[in-house]
Amino acid sequence: MLSQNSAARHAEMKLSSLSRERIFALALIAPCFLFVVVFAFYPILYSFYLSLHRIILGIPSLGQPFTGLENYRDLLHDRIALHSLANTLLFVFISTFLEILFGLIIALVINRHFRGRGMVRAAILVPWAIPTVVSSQMWRFIFNDQYGLLNYILYGSDTSRYSAWLADPVYAFSAIVAADVWKTSSFAALLILAGLQVIPDELYEAARMDGAGAWQRFRRITLPLVKPAILVALLFRTMDAFRVFDLVFVMTQGGPADSTNVLQFYGYKKMFTEGLMGYGSTISVVVFLMALAVTLLYIRVMGKGMLKAENA
Amino acid sequence: MKNLLRSVREYHMNEQGVRHGLIQGVFMCFFILLLLAPAGCTKKAEEGGTTLHFVTWKPNIPEAWEEIYSIFRAEHPDIELVKEVGPHSSTAFHDLLTQKLKNRSEDVDVFLMDVIWPPEFAAAGWAAPLDDMFAPSERKEFLDGAILANSYNGRIYGVPLFIDSGILYYRTDLLEKYGFSPPRTWREMVEQAVKITSGEAGKGVEIYGFSGQFKQYEGLVCDMMEYILSNGGNIINPETGRSGIAGKHAVEAVRFVRDNIIGKIAPPGVLTYQEPESLDIFIQGKAVFHRNWPYAWEVSNNPKRSTVAGKVGIARLPHFPGGRSYSTLGGWQAGISSYSKNKEAAWTFVKFLTSERIQKLLALKAGRAPTRKKLYGDAEILRAYPHFSGMKDVFLTAYPRPRTPLYPAVSNVLQRYFSKAISDPSSDIEKEAVAASREIDRLLALTK
Repeated sequence: MLSQNSAARHAEMKLSSLSRERIFALALIAPCFLFVVVFAFYPILYSFYLSLHRIILGIPSLGQPFTGLENYRDLLHDRIALHSLANTLLFVFISTFLEILFGLIIALVINRHFRGRGMVRAAILVPWAIPTVVSSQMWRFIFNDQYGLLNYILYGSDTSRYSAWLADPVYAFSAIVAADVWKTSSFAALLILAGLQVIPDELYEAARMDGAGAWQRFRRITLPLVKPAILVALLFRTMDAFRVFDLVFVMTQGGPADSTNVLQFYGYKKMFTEGLMGYGSTISVVVFLMALAVTLLYIRVMGKGMLKAENA
Repeated sequence: MKNLLRSVREYHMNEQGVRHGLIQGVFMCFFILLLLAPAGCTKKAEEGGTTLHFVTWKPNIPEAWEEIYSIFRAEHPDIELVKEVGPHSSTAFHDLLTQKLKNRSEDVDVFLMDVIWPPEFAAAGWAAPLDDMFAPSERKEFLDGAILANSYNGRIYGVPLFIDSGILYYRTDLLEKYGFSPPRTWREMVEQAVKITSGEAGKGVEIYGFSGQFKQYEGLVCDMMEYILSNGGNIINPETGRSGIAGKHAVEAVRFVRDNIIGKIAPPGVLTYQEPESLDIFIQGKAVFHRNWPYAWEVSNNPKRSTVAGKVGIARLPHFPGGRSYSTLGGWQAGISSYSKNKEAAWTFVKFLTSERIQKLLALKAGRAPTRKKLYGDAEILRAYPHFSGMKDVFLTAYPRPRTPLYPAVSNVLQRYFSKAISDPSSDIEKEAVAASREIDRLLALTK
């Protein structure tokens, strides 16, 4: 009886110490969790709630009627939204591709040993550290038709040949892509560099002994082993590219002829300029869902990639 | 930044901990930012007097505004005037201001309103009705069109500060040299521009024929409306209350702009120009003709800023054969926020700002056309701006943009349509116009 009792008490103590630990752990997580709830979950859910209503700030007499999925139906038939979506996807595809490509090249270069490598590594980060609004303004000046640097580089003082880059739909779109690639390739390079550094030198030595050339070493060793890092960079860049806004806002305001109008900017216009809170939120939710889908896809692929790398 | 550099440095020190250090650095940066964020928002403690927040835009001629503020501060030491300066572009300023009003910010007492906003601000409940303070007898002192622009459903929501209307600026020296008088039709303007630019090019002088505002933004609607109206077309058909941009005359005018102005007498860059950029071209002596608001007179005749000072003439905007000249009504109003806690002080400031002497100061020092009728007979103003008497009826008859609380949405459709129609030589203007018309009619139906 007595021993039973003490055993029970013992178990209880053990349990309580265990649960105390759990409570402590929860207490440690709580602030972070609360932070995420307040700043991430709540706005997302609220956007979703808004997207199911018709809310027009200019006409408060309409009230805020619940309209179900009407906003989503309208979005499917909104030719400007579809055009902006096409622009966004094109932007994501081209800019991410170029950023990863340049990122890889930069990473390979700064992974080598050379004098002043530390300086170069720090310098590479400068574009990334400049706030996008500032760098967009800078690029707007570079592409200016009267005093832009690009025109000066191409045509010197022959001002009659100066071109209005941002006035042409195709060039304006390319300008946005160029500005984004310039700014964030270094970020991709940083992530890829981290991946490069964990590749042991022995592998290269062994390959060299076996007579593998530089290209073979890159194809067979570097690329497969750096793949997880590339995927991480790809994930970050894709998600960021989906949310492109400031570049467009500063450089072109979506023009000319909507050629640089992207989904996020269109949603901003709807919400903040036109006061269509419900419809604007619908666009935000759609952008969120697309970014989420891409993320899930990458995580699946990346998970597999990581496993393979470990097995190897 | 420091953290970022530190994390970079950590590469060298500890190659294993690369990711760890970087992530830590990023989080630290983020955390520091979070800590700093609220610091910027802390309010200055109020000491007895009233603090009045005035939300305004970045002015073209800041000195004039500084003078106005200092006069007010000297005369009202009990009111602490805090100005918040927003962006120059009307659209960007609108977004900033409405964002504050939407959140019922108490940091807005008095704000400037573009002429197109009062219906929206009134309907949304952002602008306080001023009927009790702004007496009907006082309203009679102002231009009728400006008062109408501030009225919505029988109440008044703003006091007109200055009025704008589109004007044609031209180079008197060049027109004289080639024996032209200011053009009366758009076609004439194009012909004169072509003659002058090719003549000057022969002498090695590089000059464009025309500069105006054709970027995808609010100013594009103002400019394009002048072409459409002066061809007998309209934006909203006054009889049916529905979109008129797909009408024959409207489409013709848009096609004229695309085929004869953009990239022809005007550089293709005008597709990216708002007022300041287009004015720059003119005051650098690189354009024969220029469309702008009245303030450009002051800037282009200021020898410190302009290379063409003293060689600038102004005229009514041209029109198409059979039509008559139209100017878009612009201008700014002072309004009071419904959420202001200092409405009395706010009214004191609004009354001061729109008073005769301040409007006169704005006219003389910033080239802003007054909204008080009396000032158009003021000797001093007429001496500085002889054209004000001749242009008075241009201001009086300036044409308003569609008056609807959903104007921003209507304007976005128009901006998109105009930008597409004039920047893409292969676009099917009729088809685009019909599609835009349909969208505008759908928006207008919402308010009925």
